[in-house]
Amino acid sequence: MNVILLSFLFAGLTIIFYLFLNSLYVKYRWTLLTPVLTTTTALIIFLLLFDIPYGQYMLGGKWIGSLLGPAVVALAVPLYKQRDLLIQNLWPVTLGVTAGAFVGMLSGLLLAKIFRFSEELILTVLPKSLTSPVAMQLAEGFGGISSLAAVFVMVAGFSGVIFGSWLMKLLGIDSSIGRGIGLGSSAHGLGTAMAFEYGPKDGSMSSVAMTLCAVVGSFLGPALVWLFF
Amino acid sequence: MKFVIIFIQIIILYGFYLAGESIRTIFHLPLPGSIIGFLLLFAALMLKIYPLRWIESGAHFLLAFLSLYFIPATVGAIEYGNVFTGKGVWLIAIVLVSTLLTMAVSGLSSQWASRAADQRRNR
Repeated sequence: MNVILLSFLFAGLTIIFYLFLNSLYVKYRWTLLTPVLTTTTALIIFLLLFDIPYGQYMLGGKWIGSLLGPAVVALAVPLYKQRDLLIQNLWPVTLGVTAGAFVGMLSGLLLAKIFRFSEELILTVLPKSLTSPVAMQLAEGFGGISSLAAVFVMVAGFSGVIFGSWLMKLLGIDSSIGRGIGLGSSAHGLGTAMAFEYGPKDGSMSSVAMTLCAVVGSFLGPALVWLFF
Repeated sequence: MKFVIIFIQIIILYGFYLAGESIRTIFHLPLPGSIIGFLLLFAALMLKIYPLRWIESGAHFLLAFLSLYFIPATVGAIEYGNVFTGKGVWLIAIVLVSTLLTMAVSGLSSQWASRAADQRRNR
């Protein structure tokens, strides 16, 4: 089959799987039905079933992936619309986000170093507390593996969502600001979805924190890599 | 008509991204080009150089399907399945511990700072 046809086929397949599984998530709102997780699993099963190499799938996959860059740029719009919330809480947001981005990257790096993982894997784990599109681009820039970076981002998201309410109760984090910034800084998009369940202010705080963490992390990450490697 | 506007605005977002990539290459910056593009757009909006309504619908449309764009890359994990056999499983535990630590530090510090600010205001 010719290349262009295959590209259309795989791009189309990804979009159809995504739209279907996303509608399932919208209907039931279970965290485990998060479209990234279900669509990725479905596509992996599909590729294995029909014995299609990943490289061939990516002929079409890379078309979809090329929207990542502009999508990160687009995050400026929701942040701009929440600028009042940001300016009113400038000091707590700055402190929480900076501390979160720093601890998120440094603790992952040190733990992975203690367990003597390879440099490539450490660099892949490093940006896991940031939103996937940014984490993947950072991991790639460091010399890590971008697709695995996305997997660790998901593990971080699920960790935050599964243990978040227990941890925050334990530590007495009970304000919209604390919850929102805690969830957005550690569990990015999945955490933000959960923060919205606490309330609209928690959710907005979390999305502000998620975006700012991606920015702070993009500066901090290369500095840490330079320092440790 | 609405879709034409969305389409044009997505192309403009792509333009910001490409501008970010060029700045990164020209100045040899370690930042991802997309983040530089993000900062350019955010600055343009804040300084009122670029009006929100010229980008808003495109940005909303693009962000509505945000998770779609990294699915092709996550499918790439198929090639690294062996990382999670044996020792690699510990990476999951490491990410879990590190995530909870991050949540604790960012949540507690921001909550503390916001309460301190409130008290100062009320004094």
